[in-house]
Amino acid sequence: MHHYITEGYVLPNQAHIYWTTMIVLYPYITGIVAGAFIISSLYHVFGKEELKPVSRFAMLMALAFLLFATLPLLTHLGHPERALNIMFTPNLTSAMAGFGFIYTTYLFILAVEIWLLYRTDIVYLSTNAKSAPMRTLYWMLALGVMDVSEKAKALDRRVMLVLAAIGIPAACGLHGYVGFLFGAIKANPWWASPLMPVIFLLSAIVSGIAMVLVCYVGVQWRKKRPVDAACTQSLMEYAWYFLIVDVALEMLELINHAYMANHDWVILKELLSTRLFVSMFVFQVLIGSVIPFFLLGAAIVFKDRIAASTRQTIGFVSGLFLLVQVLAMRWNVVMGGQMFSKSFRGFLDFHVDFLGREGLLAAGALFALPFVALYVFSRILPLWGSIATFPTGWLKADAGPPSPSTH
Amino acid sequence: MTQPLSDGDLTRRSFLERVATTGAQTFIFGGLFVTTALMRLPQDATPGTTPAKRKKRAPEVIYGFVVDTTKCIGCGSCVRACKAENNVPDGFCRTWVEEYTFYPNGEVVVNSPKGGENGFPDDAPDRNQPAEIGQLPSRGFFVPKLCNHCIDTPCIQVCPVGASYKTPEGVVLVDPQRCVGCGYCVQACPFGSRFLNPETNTADKCTWCYHRITKGLKPACVECCPAEARIFGNVNDPNSEISRILATNRVQVLKSYLGTNPRTRYIGLDSDVI
Amino acid sequence: MGHARHFVRLFGLVAIVVIAFLGARAQVVPKDFGTQGPFRASAIPEAAKREPRHLGSEACSDCHAKINDAWAKGKHHTPQCENCHGPGLLHVKVMSEDSVDAYPDQIKKNPKALRVTSGIQECEWCHLKTFERPSTLKSIKNVERHIIETGGKYTAASKCTDCHNPHTTVVK
Repeated sequence: MHHYITEGYVLPNQAHIYWTTMIVLYPYITGIVAGAFIISSLYHVFGKEELKPVSRFAMLMALAFLLFATLPLLTHLGHPERALNIMFTPNLTSAMAGFGFIYTTYLFILAVEIWLLYRTDIVYLSTNAKSAPMRTLYWMLALGVMDVSEKAKALDRRVMLVLAAIGIPAACGLHGYVGFLFGAIKANPWWASPLMPVIFLLSAIVSGIAMVLVCYVGVQWRKKRPVDAACTQSLMEYAWYFLIVDVALEMLELINHAYMANHDWVILKELLSTRLFVSMFVFQVLIGSVIPFFLLGAAIVFKDRIAASTRQTIGFVSGLFLLVQVLAMRWNVVMGGQMFSKSFRGFLDFHVDFLGREGLLAAGALFALPFVALYVFSRILPLWGSIATFPTGWLKADAGPPSPSTH
Repeated sequence: MTQPLSDGDLTRRSFLERVATTGAQTFIFGGLFVTTALMRLPQDATPGTTPAKRKKRAPEVIYGFVVDTTKCIGCGSCVRACKAENNVPDGFCRTWVEEYTFYPNGEVVVNSPKGGENGFPDDAPDRNQPAEIGQLPSRGFFVPKLCNHCIDTPCIQVCPVGASYKTPEGVVLVDPQRCVGCGYCVQACPFGSRFLNPETNTADKCTWCYHRITKGLKPACVECCPAEARIFGNVNDPNSEISRILATNRVQVLKSYLGTNPRTRYIGLDSDVI
Repeated sequence: MGHARHFVRLFGLVAIVVIAFLGARAQVVPKDFGTQGPFRASAIPEAAKREPRHLGSEACSDCHAKINDAWAKGKHHTPQCENCHGPGLLHVKVMSEDSVDAYPDQIKKNPKALRVTSGIQECEWCHLKTFERPSTLKSIKNVERHIIETGGKYTAASKCTDCHNPHTTVVK
């Protein structure tokens, strides 16, 4: 535990920042989950055909990030071995107690959705995969049921639709809930706000879309495959819309604080003009919001005058900026709320360590894990399409790629 | 698998279809329903938190604490006694004393070096000492602080695992065997009364010396206060000292606007005390 | 078996997980959790169990009757013995002969298991003049000046207790 540099009068027990990088990372990761899922649902539920190229990938990305969403929480717990107490003895008045159940429900929905989405491929691979261990793995993933008849598939589609439809409020719930964790803390004027869940949700969607966009364009470039122009254009449009609403609400909240000028504004003003100035106004507002607003706006408004490849580059760059925006927003909420003392008379400085349990290295490594998971997924399931697009080397020599008509 | 369906298969299939398509819905909405229904359960077992309960049966003992700031001399005996009695780790306080100094220009300087554990030396290092401000203080006083043992506790409310609780006497405690050390209660306490104990990795706080008061003793800070600035007792006993003091004084609580209903009350608070 | 066999298996799997969770929960959660509210009921007696470390000045009089008597009658009876000397529990345990062997480390470190008093710091806690301290309290701004002003000879080793009896405040 650190002793931080303090200024003014800081309450004796608050000379420590209890929630640091890991708690910044946690809403960031769950946010990407919610956003990626919503992109996937836009295709699966709302039939936005242009998003088809990323629909499966977005779903798997949501799962990859969701699998590691609990890890930052675990690493910061004082007693990680007691983590399951949150499900064994949930205290029903605690917002945090909902985490175990909301998380499990969402994980279930997502896993089943992906399972149904890939079931035809899994069944096919359980007999046609190259190696015997892989065939066993696929057989287990298929739960030993090889029924891919039209009737079974029709049933799968119906269940998938229902799950995806439930998944949207569940994704909103999961991330709205994360915002509520902060927004419902009346002790902290920087957090306490009914807008917090909404802002968290919108920025979650922004970060999820941005992550899908960046990964899709990045992977296609790297693999020297064509980028689907309609798909990236659509992702950029959604990112732009959600960014506008998100930033509008973020700024409205700030303006509301300033305009109401309650007793706490004195300390918040000082906070914003000193310790949060760079991360708030440079990273979150300027780099993260203003620049991508104009970049994406140009690519959307002057769609006909800008070449598709240029627009993709704009999308890729804007996506990176948006990812910075949302990370900065998480940082500003989580750390900003702890950089002033509840004495309202003093401040704490926070310096991120490189090493240590909550250091930069640990945070970076943790953030890399979902990508490792995505890589593992890509070895098991085709990320970008279905049965017709199996990469070479996946199938037994005697079983060439199936013709698209078989599915 | 693709053989013609018999009637039995047909009915079973449609049944299973229904199960499959509605199962997930039931799972989620049922869960939500149960959760919201249970949310309405009272958050603690303490009688007297709701008017309905208060009527039913008044508990024999409800503890209260009064801090008379007009009497505090800022010696820090309470802080030292608390640290020794409760093994409070270095850098944290279950109780502490704040020193308020007011200057004619309206500046307020608050200080609490190590929570006041070593008293308040006259030459406390402070950037806002008179030399810098260029004027002598106009008034000053000390304010001892400790857990307010709120009736409507934000800390118990947010504990996800039921490790924070209230005893029937109204004392807010932490169960070190259940606490997961998430720190949410530390964030939720508006008064900075809680901390994560680096030795046990669990939440820690003032217990009003629960191990003493249940044996008929006073909390260590009250026992060691040479100025009688701390008064502790049973507010349900009309003959107790605390009842007499509460009946004859105007008392205030910290951050009353947050509606936590503290059981620790103050005499002689100033509006600049936050 | 129709076309929902994979769902049957899925629900079977879910059922296994749910049953395993409920089974684990039944094993792990203490039986008294929730009996008095959403917490472990036996945490209350456990919290009450710990031994008080401050024993109160009366306990000191068992052995130190003479000093205790002078203290109680004198002007300095508001601070308790343990204010300056520290909590008495370990002291009593160490000083009772049969338990000396139980605290070998403590005996080596601090034979009497009491706070080591400096005879000056303890006094300054209350009697150092600061602006915030009530003026009704006797206090001095500076020890050296106080000794010189009262006709004494100040050395680096000077203590308040050289002249004042800390238990009664009477000047020796």
